[in-house]
Amino acid sequence: MDAPAPAATLTPPAAAPFRHLDALWVQITGTWCNLQCVHCINASGPTEPWLAPLEAGEVCQRIDEAAALGVKEVYFTGGEPFLHRQILPLLQFALERAPTTVLTNGTLVDEATAEALGALAGAARYSLELRVSLDDPDRARNDAIRGRGSFDRALRAIRRLEARGLLPILTATEVDPAPGGETRYDRLRRLLLDAGVRKPRVKILPLFPVGRMAGHGGGTVTPEMLQSIDPARLQCSSSRAVAAGGIYACPILAGLPEARMPASSLAEALTPTPLSHPACLVCWQTGASCRNA
Amino acid sequence: MREITEPRSFRRIAVFGGVYSNAHALVATLADARGRGADALFCLGDLGGVGPHPDRVFPLLHDAGVRAIQGNYDLAVGQGHPDCGCGYTDPRDNHFARISYAYTLARTSTEHRRWMTALPGHRRLTLGDHATVLCHGSPRGVSEFLWESTTPDGLVARLLGEVRADVVLCTHSGIKWHRRLADGRHLVNVGVIGRPENDGTPRVWYTLLTAEPGRDLEVEFVPITYDHETLAREMEAEGLPPEFVETVRTGWWTTCLEVLPARERARGRF
Repeated sequence: MDAPAPAATLTPPAAAPFRHLDALWVQITGTWCNLQCVHCINASGPTEPWLAPLEAGEVCQRIDEAAALGVKEVYFTGGEPFLHRQILPLLQFALERAPTTVLTNGTLVDEATAEALGALAGAARYSLELRVSLDDPDRARNDAIRGRGSFDRALRAIRRLEARGLLPILTATEVDPAPGGETRYDRLRRLLLDAGVRKPRVKILPLFPVGRMAGHGGGTVTPEMLQSIDPARLQCSSSRAVAAGGIYACPILAGLPEARMPASSLAEALTPTPLSHPACLVCWQTGASCRNA
Repeated sequence: MREITEPRSFRRIAVFGGVYSNAHALVATLADARGRGADALFCLGDLGGVGPHPDRVFPLLHDAGVRAIQGNYDLAVGQGHPDCGCGYTDPRDNHFARISYAYTLARTSTEHRRWMTALPGHRRLTLGDHATVLCHGSPRGVSEFLWESTTPDGLVARLLGEVRADVVLCTHSGIKWHRRLADGRHLVNVGVIGRPENDGTPRVWYTLLTAEPGRDLEVEFVPITYDHETLAREMEAEGLPPEFVETVRTGWWTTCLEVLPARERARGRF
């Protein structure tokens, strides 16, 4: 679905050296989602996911592998992770081994789910983080991007989670320049404060030219360009993603054949990462990381 | 990165991090540690930060014979970097980080900056019969935060293994904690003496570590109360942000909250 753009020059792409496995990303529901956002990095949606969900057994096996390698954090993403029937037991399994984060659109976080997550977090040895996606503090603008009703449902989820002491992180994509002089960050922070959230947490991610945004920008990171930054700031130097079909370089490119690591185990997948996809240029330019902090 | 190995072994050491230009807390900590019979005093870095008059802490450290290592702040101020290297991405956190960094950089003497630039990144010593490594953030990264709720046992084991240590001592995050692995190895975040640890009291913490040969390591976190009101007034007189002063008086963090994991953040007021 996402052919890499041709390189601007004949220079071969750079490869980011691998340092150590800090973040394991688990694309638990593949590209199966109840929303269909215009900027989705893997073109997730409610019908015919091109990337299948993962079986619970494989998820547990990969988390165990990562824990044995000394992983620092586990992230559950998709698609929408709360569509997975075994999400709660899998979260519990992960939390026994490492701090764990779920990236959700919040629409399925009802009172019962929020209650279960609160109980899980309270009993867990390590921190449970919930990232709830909401792109624009204006309801109409947000829903034009994420779908009708998504704004109210995400904000309701944030309130439900905060009521259980979970301190969700509102996560937004920088879809377009914010109107007026105020930054998206400031506007989203104010939205949370106005909604009664006492400890607002906001994370902003850039747009990536992949998935539904494929073809919108990009280029190749050359070895010369890599020399101008600390390669350790590229998340592929310390992350790997597990999705249907194998192990991938990073969560942005999970599922794409060109990002698949030639490895059958995580230990074998900790090798230099070719920065050949147009999305790699965004990481190089912005220093963005999909991790919480 | 430069590493110094201490030629002798120790029975009891006092270790503190994050002075953040808080000379009042430093004086109180040094006196307390001497009174508890520490063989040696170690500082894990970040001498400057949110406090006033950054040059005041250096003579205190020198006179007390404190053996320091380099924090990210010391490296940045020493070399005149454009920012503190704290790695914040939150714009509000970066706003406040820039204020304290610009203030500290402009008021730290060339002599002290040169001294910080020459500090080692690690120190290695024997405590009882434990091979011990002292670092700032983590053994592998000066700016890596090691929080209790987001540092799994598997990572602790890996960090210890990579530097061939039985004990790793670190700071940087600002909140103390101790993990003893099932195999008897330890990781201790010794906390900071420059600002309270987001617990609603103005006290700060350092760590006393004692190891008799053949016995397990004893880790004692020691609270320090000091004249925080004088510090707060000095900060106000220097025009430092009221948000920093509020933390000194109340013990609650008001800035740089982004880096806190959910569990540690939930314990604070903001």
